[in-house]
Amino acid sequence: MAGQGPARRRRASRVHPVRLAILTVVCLLLSGLAGAAAYFFPVVVAGVGQTGQTVVVPPNSSAGRASPTPSAPPGGPFTVLLLGSDDDSKFNSDHVLTQSMILVRVEPATKHVTMLSIPRDLWVPLSTGGSAKIDAAYSYGGAAAAIATVERNFNVHIDEYAWIGLKGLIRMIDELGGVDVIVTNPVLDDFYPDDIDVTYLYGYKRVAILPGPQHLDGSHALQYVRSRHDDIQGDFGRSQRQQQVLLALKSKAATLNAANLPDIVNALKGEFKTSMGLDRVRSLLGVASTFDIANVRQIVLLPPTYTSYGQISGQSVILPHWAQILPVVKANFP
Amino acid sequence: MRRIATVLFLPLMLAFGSGVYLYLGTLKSKAVKERVQLPTVTKPSFTLPGTMFLAQGGRLFKLKNGSFTEIGPSGNWSMPTLTPDHTRLIAVLTGKQSSDLYLLDLDGHIIKRLTHDDARIIDANHWAFYPRVTPDGSSVMYSYDSPKSGFRVDFAIWTMPLNGIQSQARRRTDPYWYTGGDINPTPLPGTATIYVKHSIDQTGVHSQLWYQERSGAIGHAMTALADDCGAPALSPDRPQIAMICSAGKQNAKLEVAPLIGTTLGPARVLLSGGLYASPAWSPDGKALAYFAPTGAAGHFQLWYLALPDLAPSASASASATPSAGATPSVRASPSPAPTPPVPIQVTQGVDLSATSPPAWF
Repeated sequence: MAGQGPARRRRASRVHPVRLAILTVVCLLLSGLAGAAAYFFPVVVAGVGQTGQTVVVPPNSSAGRASPTPSAPPGGPFTVLLLGSDDDSKFNSDHVLTQSMILVRVEPATKHVTMLSIPRDLWVPLSTGGSAKIDAAYSYGGAAAAIATVERNFNVHIDEYAWIGLKGLIRMIDELGGVDVIVTNPVLDDFYPDDIDVTYLYGYKRVAILPGPQHLDGSHALQYVRSRHDDIQGDFGRSQRQQQVLLALKSKAATLNAANLPDIVNALKGEFKTSMGLDRVRSLLGVASTFDIANVRQIVLLPPTYTSYGQISGQSVILPHWAQILPVVKANFP
Repeated sequence: MRRIATVLFLPLMLAFGSGVYLYLGTLKSKAVKERVQLPTVTKPSFTLPGTMFLAQGGRLFKLKNGSFTEIGPSGNWSMPTLTPDHTRLIAVLTGKQSSDLYLLDLDGHIIKRLTHDDARIIDANHWAFYPRVTPDGSSVMYSYDSPKSGFRVDFAIWTMPLNGIQSQARRRTDPYWYTGGDINPTPLPGTATIYVKHSIDQTGVHSQLWYQERSGAIGHAMTALADDCGAPALSPDRPQIAMICSAGKQNAKLEVAPLIGTTLGPARVLLSGGLYASPAWSPDGKALAYFAPTGAAGHFQLWYLALPDLAPSASASASATPSAGATPSVRASPSPAPTPPVPIQVTQGVDLSATSPPAWF
């Protein structure tokens, strides 16, 4: 009897081997999940804070919608309005001018993409009232006003939008390791805005991007897509360069995988907003790897066919030729 | 016992969780953010004949006998070019708002500053790029952004005595405004030069190889507008021009065409469908070096291409007639090389400056 006590205690304290194995596996699974959760934590935070942004498009937009709910079914074609802004520290928060507006139609089934650059100086009625350059729409009413203004004037339905700030573009391109482009001609600018990482935001600096195939880091890529003063095509030339870099980014995105997402999300912190949910962002990355650049149609509303130069209230503006623009939009953004 | 097991198990869980975290990090696509190395810590996989000077990240390097040596003082250097006697270099030093030409010895020591393009007032600064010494060694041609006015900044081809001062420099060409202008002078024996002229039409900005007989002459196009050719390199032995043509697309062709009088004969496409940049001829004229990226990272590496027989065909010579004005008469239809040459990748893991043509002798 005296020897039974310790033996029972040993049996009581011993865990069954199967149970121990299950416990070990569960614990390791939990710790593994915790590790994965920590890794993707920035993505989750961004998913909550930066994606799936809800905007309320005024009901008098062309589509007559009360809210910008995407109408495109999963896997179906959809239209995204890409917005790029000047350094927002010059402006009140979220009241920035959109220096770049590109409508992108993605057709996953046919693997076709159409990009239409909207000139920032295009003189149009704004959804918020009155007429102004189209780049002002965002500053008056955020993404909702920009979407509504484009929808109303171009008679197009926009499913999603994505906004990126200047620093966000620099950081994203750097995070992707730069972009490769063929620069067609010297891009020279003696009045390039010197407003990144400086205290005085209204200075200028000289920029020279030399022609030929080359690898551009984030800041040089920004100079390339932002410079316009020595371009005889002005904003139109810049629009073509923006589309060019967008396609170069698409090539880079094709090499990404989910493990790259946290770094990219960190790079874009505070400089990126989109109505797209994480699911669509992820599927877009997948789609990017299957598109052939030969299947990308690029449209720039060049004068004299689609636009003309004009002066309104002392401002240099671009006047739209809607009779020529709308059929093109209808054909490419049904 | 159970407590001891728990205490031991917790670090195991922590280690496993951390392991998963680190493992996920290893799954990241490495292609997009490849670590770039200095050429001097790499070993070229192919030994180039002769000596080559090239640039990476603002630093000049000499490639000789299969190894790199860094030359020159610190700064943002690019575009090394040799004097005809191969005893000195001219290179570009780029500052914050301007760039200048410097005469260097072959070890990169500064002999003389040739231009003074920096100024306190921002728009009084100037750029000087693409230096090339004339075959007689007396002058240097280069691209210089003067005259300029307001927003208009365009390069013109300028020439100055190599042993003179910048005030003796004279403008040779008259660029089209707001196009970026004229670049890449390639001096020919005598007074003539080939350069790249940018112009614009309804479809956008184009680049053409342009022939100019003498300073101030209007000259004529040597390539078609739609071909978008640039980066000319003149062979050392017989008159051949290597060039990069993109036809307005985001991929390029490496082409070689015979220089016949003042025009080009039919071009042969040596390589197509890539981002080929800044070709340079080997000292014996039988091979080309150029830059092209590898993989998805996009960093430009040095490549070597032994050339097939490039003698112009009889029909090409017969159709080659000098022309004036903007329409090229000969280079209408590039024909592919009979035997496709096989490029050899010389460097790996570096990020050479693709817009800075190498000098090779």
